[in-house]
Amino acid sequence: MANSKILIVDDDPDLRQALRLRLRANNYDTVNAVDGYSAIAVAYKEHPDIIILDLGLPAGDGFVVLDRLQKDDKLSTIPVIVLTARDPQSSERRALMAGAAAFFQKPADSAELLEVIRATLPKTATGTVLPS
Amino acid sequence: MKDQPTRVLLIEDNPGDTDLVRLRLVEGKSPVDVNCVNRLADGLDSLKKRSPSVILLDLNLPDSRGAETFRKVLESAPNVPVVILSGQDDEELAMKALHQGVQDYLVKGAFSSSSLDRAMRYAVERQALLRSLEMSRKQQLEFKNQFLSHVSHELRTPLTSIHQFTGILLDGLAGEMKPEQRDHLKTIMKSVNQLTAMVRDLLEATRAESGKLCIESRCVAIGDLIRQAVAMMQPAAREKGVGLEVGVDTRIPLVHGDPGRILEVLINLIENGIKFTPQGGAVTVRASLVQTDPDFVYISVMDTGCGISPEARALIFERLYQDPNAVDNNRKGLGLGLFIAKELVNLHGGRIWVASEPGSGSTFSFTLPLYSIAKLLLPVITHEGRLREDIVLVKVGLKPRSKPIQANWRETCRRCFDVLQRCVYLDKDLVLPAMTVGGAEETFVVVASTDLVRANVMMTRIRKQLEKVNGLNGTGELEVSALAVPLPERDGELSLDGQVERVARTISGMVRMVLGDQSSPEGQ
Repeated sequence: MANSKILIVDDDPDLRQALRLRLRANNYDTVNAVDGYSAIAVAYKEHPDIIILDLGLPAGDGFVVLDRLQKDDKLSTIPVIVLTARDPQSSERRALMAGAAAFFQKPADSAELLEVIRATLPKTATGTVLPS
Repeated sequence: MKDQPTRVLLIEDNPGDTDLVRLRLVEGKSPVDVNCVNRLADGLDSLKKRSPSVILLDLNLPDSRGAETFRKVLESAPNVPVVILSGQDDEELAMKALHQGVQDYLVKGAFSSSSLDRAMRYAVERQALLRSLEMSRKQQLEFKNQFLSHVSHELRTPLTSIHQFTGILLDGLAGEMKPEQRDHLKTIMKSVNQLTAMVRDLLEATRAESGKLCIESRCVAIGDLIRQAVAMMQPAAREKGVGLEVGVDTRIPLVHGDPGRILEVLINLIENGIKFTPQGGAVTVRASLVQTDPDFVYISVMDTGCGISPEARALIFERLYQDPNAVDNNRKGLGLGLFIAKELVNLHGGRIWVASEPGSGSTFSFTLPLYSIAKLLLPVITHEGRLREDIVLVKVGLKPRSKPIQANWRETCRRCFDVLQRCVYLDKDLVLPAMTVGGAEETFVVVASTDLVRANVMMTRIRKQLEKVNGLNGTGELEVSALAVPLPERDGELSLDGQVERVARTISGMVRMVLGDQSSPEGQ
C-alpha cells in the first residue's frame, strides 16, 4: 500500500529539510511548497493527505492559504497542521477557527508532532491509514 | 492664546478673595473670560460642560476641604492645568498638591496681577510639556515591547533548526551515533531547551509589562494542578537528588483561575526550589485555607536550600534579577521567572511573597481566589428583592469519543460554552464558569431560574444547538440532564443575602456530586 503524502509549506529551507528527513524516516512521502501561492497550486496537483503549514509565508500568509483551502471543495477535506514561530496566545485560536486541525509552535517536539499527524490522517473503517 | 481670551474657571467661595482675583485678572496683560463658582459641585458641573484653559482653585470650599478638593478636580479634568490659591497656612498642602498633579500655587493676598498672569501661563505650558513627555514615554514603551516581541519571534527560527537537526542526529536518522557523540548532542539539546524557555519568558515578560497577558479563568481543583506540576518536576528533582513532596488540604473548594497559568507559576517556583537546594534536600508544596482570609487559598513552595539574603528578597520579583550567590551557574536563565509569576498571580487577584533566611531555605507563597458561586448567583436568582420561586440545575456533559487533540478539544469546549450562553436568558439564568475535571471530559452547569417542566424546553434547545457545534458532531458525546434545587423558605428568618448563601452552598454541594465520579478522590 502506498505511503501517505504530506505537503510541507514553509519558506525556510532548513526546516523543510529537517521535516522531510523526519517524515521519510516514519514512512511518509513528502512534497514541498515555499510560499502561499504555490501552496495552493501544489495541493491541487499532488492532493496530499495532510498539510503542514507555516504562518509567516511570502506571497499570501498562512491565513490566506487556510482560507483558500477551506473555500475549495476538494482541498477543504485535507487536514492542516499549523507549525509556526508565532505564539499561541495571538494565533492559535485564530488558526483553529480558520480551519486548522492542530497548532504547534516552533520548535515543536517531534514525537508530539508525529503523534498528531498519525491521529489526524484519514483512516479506513478498520483503522488503517488511507493513502491519497 | 494671544488672540482668544483665556477661559478661566475660578472656584472660590470667599467673596473678598473672588473680587481680588477678578481684579488681578482684569489688570493682567492677556484677555480672560472668567467663570466663577463658589462650590466644588458647581465647579465639577462646569467642567463637565466645558473645558477651561486653566482652573484657579481655592482649597477650602463649603462642600469640600483640603486634599479632597484638588483630588476631585484632577480626577474630573485630568488634562486641565490647575493653579491653587492657598491661604498663608496652607503652603504645605499646596506642596502636596503639586506632587499630585497640580501645576502651581499662589498664596492669597501675596500676588500681583503679573504673577497671576505668569502662573496661569506657566501652568498651561507645563501641562502641555508633561503630556508630551508622557506620550513619548508611552511610545518608547510600546516600541520596546514590539521590538522584544519581534526578537523573540525571530529567534525561534534558528532555534528550531538546531533543535530539529540535533534531534535527527540523536535519533540516529543520519547514521549510528557513538555514546560519546550522543552525550554531546544531549548537552546541545539541553541548551536549546533552555534557550527556548528564555525566548518564551522574554515574550511573556514583555506582554506582562504592556498589560497584554491574558488569563482565562475557570473553576480549578488546585490539588490536581499541584499534583500535575509535581509529577512534571519529579524527573528533574530525582536527577539532582532532591526530594519533592506534596501536602494538600482536602477541604479546599474550587479555585477561580487559569489552569495553564497557575501551572506555569507552580512549575516556576518548584524549579527554583530544586535549583537552589543541594543534593539530599527537599522541596515541599502545600495548599491550605487560612481562617483569617476565607476568600483565598494559600499555596507555598518550601525548599531546604541556601536561602535568600534580605537585600535579594526585596528585589527578587523584579525583572532580570539574578541572585549573585546562585550555586548552579549553568542554570541561570534570564531571571524573568519570578517577575512573570508575580504578574500572573496579580492578574488572578492574588499576592505572592517570599520568606527566607540565608542558610535555612526559602518559602515562596502565593494566594489565589476561591471560586464564589454566591457572588455570581446573586443577580440571577434574586428578583425584586426576593429569591426566585424555582431553580433548576442543568448539567451538560461533553465527552470526546476517542482521544482528542488537546488544542482542538479545548476550542470545541470554548465554542460549546459560547453556544450555551446563547441558549439561556442571561438575566435569570447563569452558565457557571467551566470546570476543569480530570481527563478530557468537560462538564457545564447552568443555574436556571425555572421549574423542571420549563427546563425541559431549555434542555431540548441546548441539545439541538450543541449538536450543531463544529467539532462536536461525530467526535463527542453529549449528555444533558436537569435537577431541581431545594430552596430555603422565602419568607423565613434568613435575610436575602443569607438565602442566597444557602442556595449557593446547596448548589456547590450538588455540583460536587455531579462532578464527583470524574474528579480525583481527594477532590473537593
